[in-house]
Amino acid sequence: MEVGRLPISASQRGKLIRAGYTTLSSLSSLSPSDLARGAQTAWDMLHEEQLLRRITTSCADLDNILGGGINCKEVTEIGGVPGIGKTQLGIQLAVNVQIPVDLGGLGGKAVYIDTEGSFMVERALQIAEASVLDMVEYNDLLRKEHRKCQVNLKPNDLLESIYYFRICSYTEQMAVISYLDKFISAHKDVKIVIVDSVTFHFRQDFEDLALRTRLLSGMALKLMNLAKTYNLAVVIFNQVTTKYMEGSFQLALALGDSWSHSCTNRVILYWNGDDRYAFIDKSPSLRSASAPFSVTGKGIRNSASNHKRIKLM
Amino acid sequence: MALISPENLLRRPQPTQKCTLGCPVLDRCLGGGIPCNSMTELVAESASGKTQFCLQLALSAQLPPSRGGLSASSLYLHTEFPFPFRRLHQLRRAFCDRHSIGREFDPSDNVFVHAVHSADQLLDEMRKIESFLSERKPRFPVRVIVIDSIAALFRSEFDNTPFDLKRRSSLFFKISGKLKSLVDRFNVAVVVTNQVVDFMGDNGGMNGLRIGNLKYLYSSERRVCPALGLAWANCVNSRLFLSRNEEVIREENGSANAGNGDTLRRQTRRRIHVLFAPHLPESSTEFVIRREGVFGVDR
Repeated sequence: MEVGRLPISASQRGKLIRAGYTTLSSLSSLSPSDLARGAQTAWDMLHEEQLLRRITTSCADLDNILGGGINCKEVTEIGGVPGIGKTQLGIQLAVNVQIPVDLGGLGGKAVYIDTEGSFMVERALQIAEASVLDMVEYNDLLRKEHRKCQVNLKPNDLLESIYYFRICSYTEQMAVISYLDKFISAHKDVKIVIVDSVTFHFRQDFEDLALRTRLLSGMALKLMNLAKTYNLAVVIFNQVTTKYMEGSFQLALALGDSWSHSCTNRVILYWNGDDRYAFIDKSPSLRSASAPFSVTGKGIRNSASNHKRIKLM
Repeated sequence: MALISPENLLRRPQPTQKCTLGCPVLDRCLGGGIPCNSMTELVAESASGKTQFCLQLALSAQLPPSRGGLSASSLYLHTEFPFPFRRLHQLRRAFCDRHSIGREFDPSDNVFVHAVHSADQLLDEMRKIESFLSERKPRFPVRVIVIDSIAALFRSEFDNTPFDLKRRSSLFFKISGKLKSLVDRFNVAVVVTNQVVDFMGDNGGMNGLRIGNLKYLYSSERRVCPALGLAWANCVNSRLFLSRNEEVIREENGSANAGNGDTLRRQTRRRIHVLFAPHLPESSTEFVIRREGVFGVDR
């Protein structure tokens, strides 16, 4: 198995690769003393990053343009046309946040707010099963002395650690998001809050548009505060709409103006020929870049057509 | 104020309950059938089989879960007139024969047909629909809602101005929001049919915007796009496309002079494609429409 496909953060992957380990077999064939000798730095680095963990998307290229994965303490808005993979990415993140600390993850839980009814349990189970297999494979290849944990996680455990809220109106949405502060203070292991999608219930007619703007801004502020207060990642999925700008129709995120100041990062998912791509549309620290990804039976993964898997940082 | 608490995903039926379409090949393409608690859209041009699928679904829903059904009746909201009663009866006869259903049970009794003339009327009637769903029936509660077709509700009363398009868009989200709320409360499978429009060339418009697994949609040998645009596409959970294209088959007559005396045969080839669905990979299968119903073809 390639190091590039491991369910660990891209920054850790990058460090392993810079130290010369591109496949797990190259790691496993070494004795601990080999690793400790000249390449001590690689091993230390693996266990060093306690503070700056990001949540992997399971796609190395996507992680790379995100600076390693989805970041805590920030609100990331991700938009795209129907069918591009928003819900798929949401489920993947809800699973990946649970990757144990000793395997490079956050070992956290997820809150998933489903506003459209796109969340299908069998798909979440499918993604969870693939994730467990990846974790077990990675763990098995580690030398015994370096195995800090048994992968005792079962796919059902991963599902159980997703706190799922199905909401059917904008009032329910406001209520749940207001309630989250109380909920998360009682469940401090939540490390990601996903809202899929954030605008659906606001796109119908509001007699009072000023009210709608106030509600959306208020909601955005609450989400930003959650991220900062509890040091978790907030990912909000958005739909796209067409806007007539500068003489032609262009794609724009729905109701985006209402909270552009509250989102730290904005990512657009789009089709480029037959491939799915992600583009960093706005970010204070990330370069504008795009990366291909694919949606497979196992979840979000690297694009099959991209042979140059790891982009060195 | 009611206590807000998250749902335990392990308590949800695994996999999500689905309603068979009455054909194993079609079911396989769709991961078991039409999912409950979800809105599935069937996009196709006229005479492609949309209504056939819906009628067949309304019958199959009455099968017991052991045979892929929901032991449920269906609410069929039709917006084009007249309702195809004759075809329903034809399918019903074949359905009864196939499942050895005797004369004392008439499946048509469990298909509730209601005419809808406009989007506003549909919205106004949501409350009635809600109480209809919550009626405690001793057998066959309503667990399938069909809207055939949604496009017809929006065709005439909206102009092509930005203002009207925005107003129309808002209605999409209102209707879809209310339907999804019903769907979640009563664990209902909703199927909505939609028409196609011709692709007129991408002159600054978003008509050609790719949505889903197929880059281009072809039917009757021309490029088409689902009606009602990007806004409506955001309102459904799954989108299926039915295509029909004529195939010309040249059959050689085996004589020494090739090209002389060959017969040309025209054949309609129909396919159902999954354009997007949260639980399905890209897939498609050929199907045929016969007197007995719609059947997938394993080719």
